[in-house]
Amino acid sequence: MYGFEALTFNIHGGYLEAIVRGHRAGLLTTADYNNLCQCENLDDIKMHLSATKYGSYLQNEPSPLHTTTIVEKCTLKLVDDYKHMLCQATEPMSTFLEYIRYGHMIDNVVLIVTGTLHERDVQELLEKCHPLGMFDSIATLAVAQNMRELYRLVLVDTPLAPYFSECLTSEDLDDMNIEIMRNTLYKAYLEDFYKFCQKLGGATSEIMSDLLAFEADRRAVNITINSIGTELTREDRKKLYSNFGLLYPYGHEELAICEDIDQVRGVMEKYPPYQAIFSKMSYGESQMLDKAFYEEEVRRLCLAFEQQFHYAVFFAYMRLREQEIRNLMWISECVAQNQKSRIHDSVVYMF
Amino acid sequence: MAGDEGAEIYEEREESMDAAVDKETEIKTEGKEDENVLQFLDSLDGYLTLMDSVNSKLREGWFDLASARHSMGTLRINSTLLDLKYHPAASTFQVTDQEVGSLGSVPRFALSKWVSKGGGSPKGKDFSTDTDSEIGSPLSQQLRHRGVSEKPSAKDENTLAADEEIKKERAKSLSVFGGLVSPKLRGAQLSFETALETLVEIANMRASMLSAFERITEK
Repeated sequence: MYGFEALTFNIHGGYLEAIVRGHRAGLLTTADYNNLCQCENLDDIKMHLSATKYGSYLQNEPSPLHTTTIVEKCTLKLVDDYKHMLCQATEPMSTFLEYIRYGHMIDNVVLIVTGTLHERDVQELLEKCHPLGMFDSIATLAVAQNMRELYRLVLVDTPLAPYFSECLTSEDLDDMNIEIMRNTLYKAYLEDFYKFCQKLGGATSEIMSDLLAFEADRRAVNITINSIGTELTREDRKKLYSNFGLLYPYGHEELAICEDIDQVRGVMEKYPPYQAIFSKMSYGESQMLDKAFYEEEVRRLCLAFEQQFHYAVFFAYMRLREQEIRNLMWISECVAQNQKSRIHDSVVYMF
Repeated sequence: MAGDEGAEIYEEREESMDAAVDKETEIKTEGKEDENVLQFLDSLDGYLTLMDSVNSKLREGWFDLASARHSMGTLRINSTLLDLKYHPAASTFQVTDQEVGSLGSVPRFALSKWVSKGGGSPKGKDFSTDTDSEIGSPLSQQLRHRGVSEKPSAKDENTLAADEEIKKERAKSLSVFGGLVSPKLRGAQLSFETALETLVEIANMRASMLSAFERITEK
């Protein structure tokens, strides 16, 4: 039982909630995916997508198409939807929508810094950045030599500034430091977003807490698996886990000392929501783990639409669109590589 | 008269001896030709098998790369992250001419993977890929040892140390995509590495195949 959102939400949020529910109805269905899986080449995929919301974004693309082109154009649809909602939103919804962008901003910062370290052209890097994560001074990132300069010269005036308090060192940027910076920033962002949603209260707080806790737990598992066999120490690994979620704190203690996938499985199977995920995989296997996590995430995101008068529907819509684009990218890659028998390895159906 | 008969008998004997020698030479020549043909056909079979294998490995590698991109995101795996700074090659390739028995001079290709990046003596294991060094090959120049080697523990330690170095070199190559990468990306790296080894084997097989073909066609 929440507060009286039903009485007041529609004053400022009713229009946008209706818009986002309309967008949700435009997500691809299982029938659409079945048609796409039958395609012989990327032009066929373009033809099938012309009947969907992506049609106007792909219609002017010349043949031969590339999978990255399909992903870029479909992402533009997501960006246009987001910008329309953001420009119509009032506080606190506008702040909530801004939070959705910060993850992409972190990815863009890391892309620019890594590319600069590898002596790539800044313009080339800017073209690859995610449009949702762009900000005015992003190109200036290329001049920074260490994290302190990164913060002082560029990021101090961006929304990411508060997340840098744990990253500020004068060490030169190298591949491992950048990776630690990425994960530390993302951890700080998730924790901040979580606190913000808790302050909002009501259905937003309840649903977003669940979604963000799942995100934090999934990150912890991915960090653990990806760091197995690397030079990242147990202490450093543990520092990258978020300070909330179902696995916090005891699950994190156990994950920090895992040395192989079976040990990770042993830890996760103690938690009933994740036992179902790991039961789908055989021992020693990690290939299907991503798909299992994506399926669970999509299930939770779809459930967010079952309630009204909260902001979590906006977050859920953005994430479902991103999953849809991921599906399209996977289908395109399988068709382009003539591996159609493997399409169903990673496509996650929503409805 | 008796002398004439003796000379005739002598000439007949000489003719029959010459005929026998000629027949023996013919048999030896035919045997050698058969050997060359068999060698050519063996090389051709090996070549086709290796071509099939490299195609399969490359498909697997590209698919694993797409899986890694799906898992980690397109921002984390793309060509703009590749390192443009000057750096030594992780693997080197040598071509030498080798005299091989009946095949004559044949070019031999050898691949050295994960050699030291700083020059000097190689720190990593030298994976020279050369079909002649395969155990069991009739052209193998390796000595066969029976019984237990004298210092197994030292050898194992050296092997382990070399494996650790190779693991570090592999991780260093992948670090352009970040310090923590998906196991799928590591799988893609291994597939492409195996494909590279197979390509060198194909080059060697092709060289011996062409050499055997020349032997067959020359008169």
